[in-house]
Amino acid sequence: MGRKKKKQLKPWCWYCNRDFDDEKILIQHQKAKHFKCHICHKKLYTGPGLAIHCMQVHKETIDGVPNAIPGRIDIELEIYGMEGIPEKDMEERRRVLEQKTQDNQKKKQQDDSDEDDDDEEAGPSFQQPATAVQPQAAYAPMTQPGMTPVPVPGMPPGSYSGMPPMMPGIPPMMPGMPPVMPGMPPGMMQMRGMMPPAHGMPPMMPGMPPGIPPPMGHHPGIPHMAQAPPSSTRPAVPATTVPMPQPSVSKPLFPSAGQVQQAGSGVAVSSSAPTSAAPKPTFPAYTQSSATAAANSSSTVAKPGTPVTSKPATLTTTSATSKLIHPDEDISLEELRAQLPRYQCKVPSAGQAHVTSPPVAPMGGVLPHQQGIPAQQPGVRHPMQGPYGAPPQGVPGYVPGGMPPYGQAPPMVPSYQAAPPRPALGMRPPVMSPGGRY
Amino acid sequence: MSLFGTNTGFGSGGTGVFGNTTTDSHNPMKDVEVTSPPDDSISCLAFSPPTMPGNFLIGGSWANDVRCWEVQDNGQTVPKAQQMHTGPVLDVCWSDDGSKVFTASCDKTAKMWDLNSNQTIQIAQHEGPIRTIHWIKAPNYSCVMTGSWDKTLKFWDTRSPNPMMSLQMPERCYCADVVYPMAVVATAERGLIVYQLENQPSEFRRIESPLKHQHRCVAIFKDKQSKPTGFALGSIEGRVAIHYINPPNPAKDNFTFKCHRSNGTNTATPQDIYAVNAISFHPVHGTLATVGSDGRFSFWDKDARTKLKTSEQLDQPITACCFNNNGNIFAYASSYDWSKGHEYYNPQKKNYIFLRNAAEELKPRNKKW
Repeated sequence: MGRKKKKQLKPWCWYCNRDFDDEKILIQHQKAKHFKCHICHKKLYTGPGLAIHCMQVHKETIDGVPNAIPGRIDIELEIYGMEGIPEKDMEERRRVLEQKTQDNQKKKQQDDSDEDDDDEEAGPSFQQPATAVQPQAAYAPMTQPGMTPVPVPGMPPGSYSGMPPMMPGIPPMMPGMPPVMPGMPPGMMQMRGMMPPAHGMPPMMPGMPPGIPPPMGHHPGIPHMAQAPPSSTRPAVPATTVPMPQPSVSKPLFPSAGQVQQAGSGVAVSSSAPTSAAPKPTFPAYTQSSATAAANSSSTVAKPGTPVTSKPATLTTTSATSKLIHPDEDISLEELRAQLPRYQCKVPSAGQAHVTSPPVAPMGGVLPHQQGIPAQQPGVRHPMQGPYGAPPQGVPGYVPGGMPPYGQAPPMVPSYQAAPPRPALGMRPPVMSPGGRY
Repeated sequence: MSLFGTNTGFGSGGTGVFGNTTTDSHNPMKDVEVTSPPDDSISCLAFSPPTMPGNFLIGGSWANDVRCWEVQDNGQTVPKAQQMHTGPVLDVCWSDDGSKVFTASCDKTAKMWDLNSNQTIQIAQHEGPIRTIHWIKAPNYSCVMTGSWDKTLKFWDTRSPNPMMSLQMPERCYCADVVYPMAVVATAERGLIVYQLENQPSEFRRIESPLKHQHRCVAIFKDKQSKPTGFALGSIEGRVAIHYINPPNPAKDNFTFKCHRSNGTNTATPQDIYAVNAISFHPVHGTLATVGSDGRFSFWDKDARTKLKTSEQLDQPITACCFNNNGNIFAYASSYDWSKGHEYYNPQKKNYIFLRNAAEELKPRNKKW
């Protein structure tokens, strides 16, 4: 929207430098992010209003506007939407914007990925019910309901049964991955909204390829997809996007490992790729640690860590305004925990040898193997095979014939000793009968 | 008090064995406590499928065991059976007919547990701990899918010691979900791969991660026609991304939201950001639940893009959650997830599994579709 009459092209928030399409949204943003009482969540209208509320109602003083960038936290400045912004800040903003529009030429497509993160900041975020997203939400339902019914007639759910004959070697593609891929690749790369032809179709609908044409017809304005210059993406592409006469484009963006199998049935153009295509340029804060991140307009979004760039073993878990509650190593919590000696795998009793013995992780070395799995560590319980059912002796009840049971020698210990303070737990057998229904 | 059904009474069932009706922070939501919880952190929970009557809950833990409880309509939980691995159990799942439970462990094996006979056999072998296990039921085949830290995704016919198929992944499997015919796997180094399972499993697309931090949990959601259409991905940075596979307008349809963080707008103290440990979708409403290291669970409506509820804070992280097959029960496990390192691990601290009536709280905010 950005009506030129506004004092600065598009409305922007003085407190955090974010841009908005509409002043109404800007105000909602300010109320939710900057003028919201942290104690009772009441939304005020201005900074001073918030300060007064906190003082009168909660007897608390606040020293700055919440979620504001340093330098813009003045609680006494009465700013509402675009009104009240000091003139010199306006000019500074104009200058910055002009400069950015030049830089932005080449970064235009990555800008889109900003939308994603912006979404949960600028209004359409998950807030308390009262302020649900308008713009985004308004949009989405329009397209989706419109989409789904469309293709259905042509593609009865059972249609996949028709697939097998078509693809001996080619696994059926997700809708939109029709085998026809014209030489569009380079051009299509940047097509953000490019959806594989069947977009809107129930994504997993098999049997797509033959069905491609019908859905195509439903998308108005699509025909000249083919010419749409790659980089102009969004503006050029109608909301429904994508489908050009020939379905899709192989998507060179992603590692090709998967492509091989798809032989021809290619993969849909991004759709998701562009959304996060270039995290680095649009989130410069991520590559910085701490302080500089604060300066970035994306407020708390950019804060924690720099996982993208810190490929090596550690994360940056602390920054000026936030702290990631996670150990520094960039491995999963389970991997970290599994390295401990107490969690190394114990060899089951009765000469199994089948279970691979070496401990999971380099750390901790190999524990002495125990027979019978005594509880050598605190907290390790006796392997209870299930006092509920008669501990099965010979195992392999299940496997039909032949197959040597993988060594499930039930570790005896039928009695449930390991239960410390467990009074009368309904553990008693009564309910279970061996071999019966549990 | 009936735990299920539409009334909201979910009082302390009849299971107050461990007694405390006072509000200490181990159960601030006053939910039903499952009896005989495991002795170490609970890594995974799974309810029985609709094909069998009643509700049975399976929970795997770091004590190497997998336990089965029957959850009765009056809220009582009855421990039924237990099986062991030789290493911590990281994931469990049910077969579609409810007769078998599959368990995956750090001992690099996966087992099939026949509940009728209470027997287990090994059905899979990897070179590293198996992190995820899912049952796949396709019209022309059925198999078990295991994702491991050995960077492979293998598919097993339970009758054969060799995998039917083995797919190489770029990195270690951290989490996965399957809703036929789609499977999503999130790996280390923020890898994200979608597989399509028709005819035979194959890699469909590698997606550039919508999140900037380590992936931790993923859950597929369905559209109105009950077809899988996208997934929710959680990271260690208190954020979930909602991502559609083929949205009409990716820029607008895909989004991320922040969750499991402390002190909202208080700029005085740094915000604590917690990992999202698990995500589950309500089977009927399509709304989702997230649980995090902060010891809270939250319910969200992804279509209205609003939060429905956030719980009080428990004194331990919540490590796992799941809904039962009709969406009336929400189960969540309170135990240590290692988010603060080994210093904060107390082996003596009790682990809990709570059950909550989910019929009302998960209703969507407004009908957008």
